[in-house]
Amino acid sequence: MSAPNEEYASPHSQLSSHFFGDLLDSIIVDIASECHRIARLGLDRNLEEEEEELRLSAQARVRVADPSNGGETNGKYVVDIFGQTHPAVANEIFECMNCGRSIMAGRFAPHLEKCMGKGRKARMKATRSSTASQTRHSRGSPISLYSPYSNSNRSNGVDDYCNEGGLDDQ
Amino acid sequence: MNHHRQRFPLQSCPHLSACRSAHGPNPFRSLQPCLKAKPLGPTSVRREPNDAVPRCSLCSSSSASRLYACLACAAVSCWSPNLHSPPHAAAHAVAAGAGHEIAVDLDRAELFCSLCRDQVYDPDFDTAVVRANHMFLPLPPPTSHPKDTKKRRRAVEYQPWSPDPHERMCIARGSSPLPPDSTCGLRGLNNLGNTCFMNSVLQALLHTPPLRNYFLSDRHNRYECQRKRVKISATDNAKSVAARLCLACDMDAIFSAVYSGDRRPYSPAKFLYSWWQHAANLASYEQQDAHEFFISMLDGIHEKVEQEKGKPQSQGSGDCCIAHRVFSGILRSDVTCTVCGFTSTTYDPCVDFSLDLEPNHGPAKNSTTKSHSCNGEMESMLSSHVGGVSTLMGCLDRFTRPERLGSDQKLFCQNCQVKQESLKQLSIRKLPLVACFHIKRFEHSSTKKMSRKVDRYLQFPFSLDMAPYLSSSILRGRFGNRIFAFDGDESDNPTEAASEFELFAVVTHTGRLDAGHYVTYLRLNNQWYKCDDAWITQVSESIVRASQGYMMFYVQKVLHYRGNEN
Repeated sequence: MSAPNEEYASPHSQLSSHFFGDLLDSIIVDIASECHRIARLGLDRNLEEEEEELRLSAQARVRVADPSNGGETNGKYVVDIFGQTHPAVANEIFECMNCGRSIMAGRFAPHLEKCMGKGRKARMKATRSSTASQTRHSRGSPISLYSPYSNSNRSNGVDDYCNEGGLDDQ
Repeated sequence: MNHHRQRFPLQSCPHLSACRSAHGPNPFRSLQPCLKAKPLGPTSVRREPNDAVPRCSLCSSSSASRLYACLACAAVSCWSPNLHSPPHAAAHAVAAGAGHEIAVDLDRAELFCSLCRDQVYDPDFDTAVVRANHMFLPLPPPTSHPKDTKKRRRAVEYQPWSPDPHERMCIARGSSPLPPDSTCGLRGLNNLGNTCFMNSVLQALLHTPPLRNYFLSDRHNRYECQRKRVKISATDNAKSVAARLCLACDMDAIFSAVYSGDRRPYSPAKFLYSWWQHAANLASYEQQDAHEFFISMLDGIHEKVEQEKGKPQSQGSGDCCIAHRVFSGILRSDVTCTVCGFTSTTYDPCVDFSLDLEPNHGPAKNSTTKSHSCNGEMESMLSSHVGGVSTLMGCLDRFTRPERLGSDQKLFCQNCQVKQESLKQLSIRKLPLVACFHIKRFEHSSTKKMSRKVDRYLQFPFSLDMAPYLSSSILRGRFGNRIFAFDGDESDNPTEAASEFELFAVVTHTGRLDAGHYVTYLRLNNQWYKCDDAWITQVSESIVRASQGYMMFYVQKVLHYRGNEN
């Protein structure tokens, strides 16, 4: 866009510059008028507080990134505020409320999954045995006894049919 | 009825005051027919006939960026200080004498004092402008909240309670005082096998003030509840399966354990068992999404209440169960026809706010104006980038911005009686007691059959004012921020303090989508603690500010009490 006072600009582009200038001025006044109203009527947000928060966060990130500031205690090998240490895998022992067996806390979830018959591998085992008996008795397609997952992350369990060589139980 | 005037400091000038007193009780009545409203644009001022182009009486300019019409004699003058000194509107005021100082901006419907050389404001004038826009004001939606309209429960004075002598005796007999301990309620939670998603949310809930107070005040006694449930099971076979389960009872047990003073890490095994029975589709030994767990849990507590009462409970009022009493707010959705300006409004309850992170580098800085002509381009014109950092308030700005729905998403307009291109805008009708902000960091693409995590840092404040996102603010902004009591205004009590929140818990996620770890930061007595499964450690404020927030929990700074219906 040629500058308004450029000598060699054609009358045509001078005119369009002129119109552009008018439009731009008008838009600027629109914004100025709106902001003026908001500021005068006390409707503006507390920018000072917001900016202070931004400043504190920026400062915090710098501080945390600096390796010389003793970093955040990470990992499982720390002493907690009560002076206690804990093993990486929780070793409290209690009774499973489903089957009554004694289970170690850190292994409770995988145990419960099998115990309750939930979870992909547990259901696949059941599906496999149920479909085996079904195909013997009917010509219909195998019907799973358990409702399929709705979780979109899951891949189709049927693909892993052959993978059930032992559950990943340590 | 005029309490809205007290909220806005009167921004008038002596010339405007003089003009008002000279023209009696309704000084702007003659202007009313000249105020021309447009569906989505600013109100302008024109004399009939509408199509005459206004020109400055002194220089005939019609393209000046500011054209003013004198309120006294309707003479049109421009204001171009770069071209004319004095500007023509000021020259008119001086020449025409007293009473000709106040003029109105033809394109923006704003009052201007040519002698003070400043824009001035008047509630009666603003009322006239809003009246001119009456056909564009959203109608109050059909009676979804009869309580709101019929008997507004007014806020009452807080009256502190003290036990009477008999109650004192009961307290002394039935309890023992907790040792003065600033780490009360802090207790590690054992990881039962990829259950940090559950532990992190539980830690936040265990320190959610209204929830903590509810359970520690024995408002859900798990022994009594169990007795009731056993009775139901015995007498009613149909209900017996459902009666076995009560997530609130399991929560009660965890509260008791965590506030007991025992410092050894607690195993929330029973809770896991109960939750897996409630949320069968999520029951697996695999890392789950903490937010999904949070929603599922609140749902579980609510469902139990529904079963007891035998009918669906409305979530919006929060009267149904403690989960909704604490977390439920109401969202307002306005859909405006871009052709005729007709707006339809709906209200929906929500238990949290799920916010998108901006798609690319950095969001808009917190803008001070909400332009009604709303394209993405206009918004970024009005604001600047803050060194490309995403902020929670930026996400909220985005959440409540007017969104132009595509031409493939036309909605039916009641006024036009056809599908038209529309604008949609969300705002908050009622803030919850505790606001949970969930940042959508996990993108699941069903088309590409993959998911990814967005690691970008998000700045979140420790102190948050939600006022700009309230329906009253958004609605006012849509109509030029006029001094007027719009529908949606909480005219019951000044709600400035009721929109202020403070942060008390942050759930963070580190690592990859498939191999990650959840940790919660809690604020107790102005000290921050990190809750990493069984390990509770002290951390500095900086660590929390610099962390990758996934769910942030804020509680209202001031609680307002409503009088009981009885």
